[in-house]
Amino acid sequence: MSTTASRASTDPAILARRSEDVAVGDEIVRHRFASRAIHWTVALFFFLALFSGLPIWTPIFGWMAHFFGGLSVCRWLHPWAGILFFLATIIMFVHWLGDMHLEPKDREWLRPGKIAEYMKYEDKDPDVGKYNGGQKLFFFAAALGALGLLLSGVVLWFPLAFPQVLRELAILLHDVTFIVFVVAIVLHIYLGTAAEPGTFHSMIRGTVSKRWARFHHPRWYREVMGEESRRP
Amino acid sequence: MTTHSLEIRRSSASLWGGATGMRQLPVVSKYIDTTTCIGCKACEVACQEWNDLKVVATQQTGTYQTLPELDAEFWNLIRFDEREFDGGVVWLMRKDQCMHCEDPGCLAACPAPGAIVQYENGIVDVNPEACIGCGFCATGCPFNVPKFHAKTGKMAKCTLCVDRVESGLEPACIKACPTGCLQFGTKDDMVAMGHARVEQLKANGFANAVLYDPQGVGGTGVVTVLGHGDHPDWYGLPRDPNIPLSVRVWKSVLRPLGVVAMFGAVLGAIGHFMYQGPKEPRDTGGEPPRPRP
Repeated sequence: MSTTASRASTDPAILARRSEDVAVGDEIVRHRFASRAIHWTVALFFFLALFSGLPIWTPIFGWMAHFFGGLSVCRWLHPWAGILFFLATIIMFVHWLGDMHLEPKDREWLRPGKIAEYMKYEDKDPDVGKYNGGQKLFFFAAALGALGLLLSGVVLWFPLAFPQVLRELAILLHDVTFIVFVVAIVLHIYLGTAAEPGTFHSMIRGTVSKRWARFHHPRWYREVMGEESRRP
Repeated sequence: MTTHSLEIRRSSASLWGGATGMRQLPVVSKYIDTTTCIGCKACEVACQEWNDLKVVATQQTGTYQTLPELDAEFWNLIRFDEREFDGGVVWLMRKDQCMHCEDPGCLAACPAPGAIVQYENGIVDVNPEACIGCGFCATGCPFNVPKFHAKTGKMAKCTLCVDRVESGLEPACIKACPTGCLQFGTKDDMVAMGHARVEQLKANGFANAVLYDPQGVGGTGVVTVLGHGDHPDWYGLPRDPNIPLSVRVWKSVLRPLGVVAMFGAVLGAIGHFMYQGPKEPRDTGGEPPRPRP
């Protein structure tokens, strides 16, 4: 047996390459390497598309165009970055779909006030699995948003090939979708970093502490620890 | 766009133009009388010549029209149509080109700073150096004028011969017209001339004659006398042109709202963190929460 193989059972970093939902010592592997890689690939193309699109959207962000070599470069780059973002999103969607099975109680997240409750740290649900309802909602909303951005984006890419009414609808759809998307991403980044310590680590190194898992995703913790059978 | 001494009143994707207000420039306009146009197309040739555009081969489509549409290398087109009127057939010819709107939809839709400008004298011009060739101006234009030039990747259209006008010359098309159906001067003079001509037409059997100067776009820098003013569509003109609602909503509603929403989200997150702090387990590792029985 090689050293790597013998280390795999005790070193979370090694284990986190291929496996997830397993406990090692004080840590639990939450995102294996493939999950982290696809997440950051989507993020990379998202920000590439965002920063090359914002200067086209409003001159307030015109300075961003300089990072790419000017607005003409942005006009060329933005659609391609968008295509790559969409393709990466498809892979991410397929990759995570199994974990995002909507349960009846996830509907609670559609209730007005639920997000406020969550942000006030007043939610005490001992039955939260690997992903809570808000995360699942964000997952499906992001996929839907990516589709909306792609469809409207293609029209805006080649406006002269489409009838006027489609061009005008595309402007509105692209705008509304991306504004909602950016606001959601700001929330996503905030929750994934400052607001919930330990979360960002899970997307970099793959692991979380047991304490983190017990607090944020109690049912997932019990499943991983074998205290409760896994639900589909 | 050539280097010029005209001041810029409005510039795309910019809050302000470059006008100081010191130069006293009247707003200019073309005057087109469709009732005296004989369709000779001297204006088309003059336009190609003055602007150093290529010679375009006529597309034979069974009409007295050189091309079906304006083109990035053909900025002045005599549109031809024939309609039944008063028991007979009328031939309708209208010189089509950029209308140089007072409130230009192309300029409103353009995302590239300074790519479309409106000079102090009302001329609307494309600056190819700043143009990114996105084609949004075509979406903003209610007259379907700006055209994409595939070779350069830029949009192009009639400049109202700004390089001639700034030197005190009339546009090339006007200069070439043999019948006097094309005139050039201040907007006020051209409107007055148009109204006088409309009165003359009304007294001579054209009861529906109008001067086409659509107010939906704030009036145009090309005023057109239409013998059959009740049917602007016969001349390929929209009845009530406006900047598309979606362009206005994008620029005037969604854009400011979006910017506020984005910065608001960032500030909201910072504020939330300051008020609420991080979401962390307070316990030091006691019993994990259990599902209620």
